[in-house]
Amino acid sequence: MNKVMLIIKREYLSRVKKRSFIIMTLLGPLLFAGLMIAAVFVTQADSADHKIMVVDNDGLLTHYDAQRRAYIPNCLDCFPERDGFNYYFTNINPGDSIITDGDYTMIADVMNDVYVTKAVELLYESVPSISSTSRIERDLESAVERAKVMSAENIDYETYKRLKVDLRLNKINIEKGENAFEQERAGIGSGFAIIIFFFIFLFGAYVMRGIIEEKTSRIVEVIISSVRPFQLMMGKIIGIGFVAMTQFLIWVLFSALIWIVVGTLFESGMLQDTMAVSQSMSSGQANLDFETYIQQQEGFNMLLSINWTLMLSMFVVYFIGGYLLYSSLFAAVGAAVDNETDTQQLMTPIMLPLFFSYAIAIMSASNPEGFAARIFSFVPFSSPMVMMVRIATDTVTWWEIMLSIGILAVTCWLMVKIAARIYRVGILMYGKRPGYKELWKWLFYKA
Amino acid sequence: MNALEAKAISKSYADHVALNDVSITVPEQSVFGLLGPNGAGKTSLIRIINQITGPDSGEINLFGERLSEKHISQIGYLPEERGLYKKMKVGEQSIYLAQLKGMSKQEAKKRLDLWFERLEIGDWWNKKVEELSKGMAQKIQFVTTVLHDPKLLILDEPFSGFDPINTALIRKEIMRLREEGSTIILSTHNMASVEEICDNIALIDKSRVILEGQVQEVQQRYHANEYQLKFEGNMIGFTNALWTNFELISKKSKEDKHEVIVKIAEGKRLNDLLNAVTSEVSIIEARPHIPTMNDIFITAVNKEKEKS
Repeated sequence: MNKVMLIIKREYLSRVKKRSFIIMTLLGPLLFAGLMIAAVFVTQADSADHKIMVVDNDGLLTHYDAQRRAYIPNCLDCFPERDGFNYYFTNINPGDSIITDGDYTMIADVMNDVYVTKAVELLYESVPSISSTSRIERDLESAVERAKVMSAENIDYETYKRLKVDLRLNKINIEKGENAFEQERAGIGSGFAIIIFFFIFLFGAYVMRGIIEEKTSRIVEVIISSVRPFQLMMGKIIGIGFVAMTQFLIWVLFSALIWIVVGTLFESGMLQDTMAVSQSMSSGQANLDFETYIQQQEGFNMLLSINWTLMLSMFVVYFIGGYLLYSSLFAAVGAAVDNETDTQQLMTPIMLPLFFSYAIAIMSASNPEGFAARIFSFVPFSSPMVMMVRIATDTVTWWEIMLSIGILAVTCWLMVKIAARIYRVGILMYGKRPGYKELWKWLFYKA
Repeated sequence: MNALEAKAISKSYADHVALNDVSITVPEQSVFGLLGPNGAGKTSLIRIINQITGPDSGEINLFGERLSEKHISQIGYLPEERGLYKKMKVGEQSIYLAQLKGMSKQEAKKRLDLWFERLEIGDWWNKKVEELSKGMAQKIQFVTTVLHDPKLLILDEPFSGFDPINTALIRKEIMRLREEGSTIILSTHNMASVEEICDNIALIDKSRVILEGQVQEVQQRYHANEYQLKFEGNMIGFTNALWTNFELISKKSKEDKHEVIVKIAEGKRLNDLLNAVTSEVSIIEARPHIPTMNDIFITAVNKEKEKS
């Protein structure tokens, strides 16, 4: 068998079999799921008063009441009275000015093709809370459903189910224009950036520690009498990289599994009480199915709006790039020192760009088309993190991604070369910790 | 055929010269002692033979061929600083190291059984290295060095860390390996073992070879017409009887029994010495004094010091 393959196999198996890896792999997704659910519930708290103008362009949901001189909904139950949350109805869009003037907070524009598009435009100026928009979504949904049922005859359950509507709100910020879930997508993007950051940090440090271990246990001299130092270094980096990918893959599979299990439990009714569905059940809806519930929970709904295939494949590409880049630096540091306490000074030039990129990525989430986000999605040290945010928010073109990956690939190649030179000299050097000047000299040593 | 020929090897690092025009020749199926004080350049030479580093100039031939990557599987190397993966199990680790040398898993397993038996290694297969005593770990390390049946074996201080019983065991195995056709380069400071098992030596000091040849021949060279006498009688009478052609190198006395080493001047023989002293003392034993490798080592290195 190829020697590098042997090294990769050893590095991989010896780590995957460790108890700490198994525990982390199992607990990771539970932790993520917990955080996500917590985040959704926290954002459900709502305090703002809302006045929502429902524009029923074709009289699907409302009729004119001459006595009250106002449009009132056909289905009064669908728009229950709540404190600080009031609906108003009209048949002609009065224009954005009613929001900018402060008379109303939102406009829900119901078009005559709502049965087909299953979408209602929701306009606002200040971003409404998730619980408010999902409340509107539910109310409109039941109203539209009711309208459909009214127009149909001889309703049985099957027909009813067919008439059920999954309504979607196309949220439009009247200032910024349409970009569905921009903030939420950026959030997902920065989530990926955080995972890349932690994986580089964690597994890069594994590479470094592994090399220090080989050096201090002195086995390195035996190994490099059998393989070239470069093979040993790459075997270690790739082997540990596979460990990271395995962990991530298991997380993805686990998350999918949790999704399915929670969904099944939910549909069997076991979770409905605990997941605070009751507050929204006043309109008398029957059992919900899980996907409908998720769609109603905007915090989750945006999950469905993301191109997961692209995100996951780009994650793999950028993780590989970022990991190769940083872990080869970690490898060079590991080879240069005798023990972990000596790494501090040499780690600085690795940690600085890593943390800086992390910060840029988080900042980019709030402005993914900003100058910093654009620039640093091409800089190889930060692109793995920043680009994830931009891809998630759909603010990049394919050639930008290609260029960024290209630059990253070239830099990786260069960095691996440089690291290999330091590594080759460093692993056989014991004693005094080398300074930057020595490391620079090592680059030019003859093999 | 020679197992190894190193021709005019030079290697320098940024701040010092490790090897300066070093040439050695190691005949096939022999034990070659690579000697020298600490920091002389032995490890540098060994690393070059192992292709861990390359020489700045010079050339190395292994079994008549220019040293290349394919020779890696023909060399077994036991570095002075021992080391194994502490958390890895003995069996797994031995197989891994053998595979890196190009052996198949099945073959490695078979040979491991053989070697574990030979070295009286018990049921250690599933033990982690960190659970082993130092001596046990050393044995495992020795096994991993020889497992792939290398034609050239480079052992750097192979006896360090072993008790006398295991030292004898390892020595026996080294001799057996030579009998079976291996060539062994032995780097050691243990001069007694050099005399015992080495066929040839090279002494490296300050990055140069200062002495080389067959062990007996080197000892002859340093013998320098010295004789060891044991006699009974008066020591003063004995010293008075020595005239200018003889020089008393050392003396040891126990009551009126004495043991001396006398250097005889060029052109004179043992008979002349005996003629001079037999009237004063009664001779018990007289034989040529063969210097130990230890003496030779010290003499040669000190001579170099004086030169510089």
